Amino acid sequence: MIQVALSLLFLPFISAAVTLCFLRKHGNIAALLSVATAGGILAFSSLLIFGGEEGSIFTWSTTWFALSDMHLEFGFLVDSPAKTLLFVVSFIGLLIHIFSLGYMADDEAKSRYFGGLSIFMFSMIGITLADNLIMIFVFWELVGFSSYLLIAHYFKTDDAAKASRKAFIVNRVGDFGFLLGIIFTYWIFGTVNLQELEAASLDPTLTSTLLCLLLACGFIGKSAQFPLHVWLPDAMAGPTPVSALIHAATMVAAGVFLLIRIDFLFTAEALKLVGLLGAVMGLYAGFCALSQRDIKKVLAYSTLSQLGYMAAAFGLGLPGIALFHLMTHAFFKALMFLGSGSVIHACHHEQDIFAYGGLRKKMPITAYTFLVGVLAISGVHFLSGYFSKDAILLGAYNLDFVIFLILYVGAILTSVYMFRLYFLTFCGEARSKSSSAAYESTIFMTAPLLVLGFLSVVGGFVALYPIQIVEFLLPDIERVANMPNHLWMNILGLFAWVGGLSIAWKIYGNITSTEDPLSEKSPTLFNLSRSKLFFDEIYSFYIQRIQDPFFRFLEIMELLFISGLMVRGSAGVAALFALLGKSFYSGKIHSYSFWFVIGTIGFLTYSILFGANS
Amino acid sequence: MDTFQTLLLGSVLVPSIASLGILFFLLNDKHMAKKVAYLAFGFPCIAGIILFLNFDPNHTGYAYEILYDRMGLQSLGITFHLGLNGVSAPLFAMAGFVGLAAALVAIQSDTDRLPLYLSMLAFMQSGLMGLFASIDLLFYYLFHEFALIPTFLMIGLWGGRDRRTIALEITIYLTLGALISLGGLVALNVMLDAPKFDFPSLSAAILADGLGIETQKKIFGLLLFGFGILVALFPFHSWAPRGYEAAPTSVSMLHAGVLKKFGLYGLVQLALPLLPAGGLSWGPYILWLALGNILIVGAITVAQNNLKSMIGNGSVMHMGYCFLGLGVCSSLGASATIMLMCAHGLSVSLMFLLANSINQRTNTLEMNEMGGLAAKTPLLACFFAAATFATIGLPGFGNFWGEFAIFLSLGGYGLDGSGEVTEKHLFLVLAALGIIISAIFGLRAMARIFFGEQSEELSAHEKKSKINDLSFAESIPAVLILLPLVFIGLWPKGISEGIDISITKRYELLEKGGSNYGLPSCCPVDQVFKKSVTNQSQSDAKNVEERK
Repeated sequence: MIQVALSLLFLPFISAAVTLCFLRKHGNIAALLSVATAGGILAFSSLLIFGGEEGSIFTWSTTWFALSDMHLEFGFLVDSPAKTLLFVVSFIGLLIHIFSLGYMADDEAKSRYFGGLSIFMFSMIGITLADNLIMIFVFWELVGFSSYLLIAHYFKTDDAAKASRKAFIVNRVGDFGFLLGIIFTYWIFGTVNLQELEAASLDPTLTSTLLCLLLACGFIGKSAQFPLHVWLPDAMAGPTPVSALIHAATMVAAGVFLLIRIDFLFTAEALKLVGLLGAVMGLYAGFCALSQRDIKKVLAYSTLSQLGYMAAAFGLGLPGIALFHLMTHAFFKALMFLGSGSVIHACHHEQDIFAYGGLRKKMPITAYTFLVGVLAISGVHFLSGYFSKDAILLGAYNLDFVIFLILYVGAILTSVYMFRLYFLTFCGEARSKSSSAAYESTIFMTAPLLVLGFLSVVGGFVALYPIQIVEFLLPDIERVANMPNHLWMNILGLFAWVGGLSIAWKIYGNITSTEDPLSEKSPTLFNLSRSKLFFDEIYSFYIQRIQDPFFRFLEIMELLFISGLMVRGSAGVAALFALLGKSFYSGKIHSYSFWFVIGTIGFLTYSILFGANS
Repeated sequence: MDTFQTLLLGSVLVPSIASLGILFFLLNDKHMAKKVAYLAFGFPCIAGIILFLNFDPNHTGYAYEILYDRMGLQSLGITFHLGLNGVSAPLFAMAGFVGLAAALVAIQSDTDRLPLYLSMLAFMQSGLMGLFASIDLLFYYLFHEFALIPTFLMIGLWGGRDRRTIALEITIYLTLGALISLGGLVALNVMLDAPKFDFPSLSAAILADGLGIETQKKIFGLLLFGFGILVALFPFHSWAPRGYEAAPTSVSMLHAGVLKKFGLYGLVQLALPLLPAGGLSWGPYILWLALGNILIVGAITVAQNNLKSMIGNGSVMHMGYCFLGLGVCSSLGASATIMLMCAHGLSVSLMFLLANSINQRTNTLEMNEMGGLAAKTPLLACFFAAATFATIGLPGFGNFWGEFAIFLSLGGYGLDGSGEVTEKHLFLVLAALGIIISAIFGLRAMARIFFGEQSEELSAHEKKSKINDLSFAESIPAVLILLPLVFIGLWPKGISEGIDISITKRYELLEKGGSNYGLPSCCPVDQVFKKSVTNQSQSDAKNVEERK
């Protein structure tokens, strides 16, 4: 087993290293190597998932870094949640690698792109397998790095240059709290090993809300939750398959996975706070998505909103459901991102949805698989999203009505903006040259769409999966299944998606102009949604008007007081004495004899007055 | 003398002999001087690797000892005594790597009077290897001066803008620091009355009869500020960024990377273990000043537009972490400092090296006059990204482990032995802000130099001379530095074992001042050092009797 786990982890690392060292100028070979690596990852992770018996946990560790009484380990913990995420990462990872072959076929820097993907797979698998918080943190930062690298793929554009930086720095802000949390955990519990922590957390005097919230900062940064959500929409500057893999299906979901990993540390207040935060994010991001024109930004806000649902599920005390939604979301969101990639590729990198239209006839596979994704995320009955999302809503309805209300409004919005996106893109007539000249993408791109479309349809039936993959989800699913108000919830759910569908059809059903009709029908709502509640403005105000001037002020102060007053000043004092001393050396004999007399008198006075006492 | 001892002695002597050889015979023979330089710098690098790999981490004392005690200074306890322990072995190897890389940069450059330049650089290298290999304190100090003097001369002769003024300022400033620390060393020797003036004898003497608290405080203060000036402790740091900006690349690399570690090395090996009460009482002040390095100098770094001055300020900022590790007065903090010293030495010299490569292509160091360089020089961008991310503490590079362990030691310090969060954790929280600050300046530089559109200035310059990517030869020194950096990052245990064993043992005295978690947070100094107190009162009593 250990050989399998190590090979699984280091296969993509070696692949990235080989690409970096030898394949920089051989993009096609690098692409094939990377896809083969992704295949190898799927094979090894299957071995790891199905290798043990049902319910078995595989652990292994070795000393990584030891100083004084500090002892850090490099180790694996392959238990049921890890197996679920491993399945999601390796399976979707492979599909997106294959899709990239088509999408990035004409790219200049293929080897950089595929090398970056391999680094990402390495880091993501590291998070999944890690058995302690510090190792999670190490790979946590590394996924941040690979995300930076891939967002900056089109580095010549200012957007990508800024977005990559923003993503990394905002994540660092979250990691700052996460790091503090890990350090406090280490000193309070005496360990950072997840299993040992679980045992130690039985002592309720050790856990505290502050500690949970610090650790949750990692989640807030990585999963782009309020108030650190600003980086994710900008991160769409990266290539679309990257958005699908990293900024929708896996990396941003790692934040939720972290919460599930340290579930036992959470106090009731911390849970409630995370739940509320998630619910509000679910609503807020849905609201922002309403007025976006860029196809990828709509999906990005939708991702934020769905991550909020996962956090809400976690906050309700249903980590299994959170992971369930993580899995189904990974299917349908990867599907829609890849679908948008297919559209963008076909329309020569046009990303404005008002410039699309009528693409259903030109690219039917993309259109129908995309529709499946839209239906799934809107919670249409018996598709994958229905099971996981309605489980969250039902759980919220029975456990915390406030959270339910927020999430329910969010659900209606989800269906509105998703159908809006679908209608604008695929229905009606083409509204620009690029979309009228579009054609269906190649098999490399459509095959992953079909597979993901299939999974988005059936992915909610947990009974279809091998038990090893869904083991962690079952207890919580059972718990929700036994809750009351099923019928009522079904009616509400139906109302939500049908309502959203009708609103979207009414406003966007058949438009011909490239202006957003909402801006005329309800300018206030439209402008409020466009403004995204001014978070970006507030942050850039802080950076440009407060932080940077303050830093420059410090620089001037340093120049004045330290380099100037302290260093030059002391040099000046020395020079003054030198000047004084120099004036004695006049070269005139009478002044020398004058000083001689003064000195003699001074010496005599001193010895007469003070010398006698000794 | 066995092979390893020969290697150790050779890595100190070969560069200085080569230096003299070039100076006397090859000043006009550029070609031959280069060949000699390969030997002068290649030998210490290879010797450093061999000695480090062969070093048994479980060895508590010094290995490969060489002792020559017939210099006529025995009466003063001064001998020529070389050897490596767990702390100095990785630093010694690091000095070898950085030295070779710096020399390769120099050899590839078109510096005028190159043989003279190489000769001085080799002399500097000899001092650098010597200072980490010295067991005797006088030689430890002398080797530092050996390395420092060429630094001044080279800044003055080959430096950039304002080189004369800056060379003079650095000379006075650093000589002052060195003198204060020498005062501390001498005071330590005189007060302890040790038979020999070296690390082990002083340790033995202090165990036999400790110093009084007041004496410890005074000597520690001398050492702290003397060494502190040399390491650019806030607010004695202003020499560093300006000096590095003006100095030729190889000198910046060697000074910021290796020579600056002299002071920290002295504090870790000597001041803290020998003067525990001094360390404990100065500890909080060290922490506050270190925060000045991290927050204030960090903020200033963000405001820089000149690449070299950003790197220089950034290096001063990261020295703050090293001082934090010392200020907590624990073996964890001290060993973490050594980890960070090794990693930082490599990463900062890589930064200077790449800044030079960038400068050669853009003919400027102002970052807003660059932009979009990654399209022309992908390999350079790749190296620069690696160096930047190493500097800002990305896991996978050595710096992360050092910083992380220092944060961990601060966490333990803040506990105050109580197992709860206390106001002393403020140090941890403020220090950890540094990870955001470094990310801001590192990534800003990356974006300004390599991403986005090419600036007009650069396009104008490009018309005059074509911008090429790094050549194979140019990338060798960068790879040479990156390899150990990544090695430490991936397998920190590789160097931490040796450091740990030699630090932990020598820090027992200091740790006794600790409460829970083996950390001396706010220990009541008076109680813990009763032995020292009684010793002092006895000796005071003796003095009184003698006077009568």
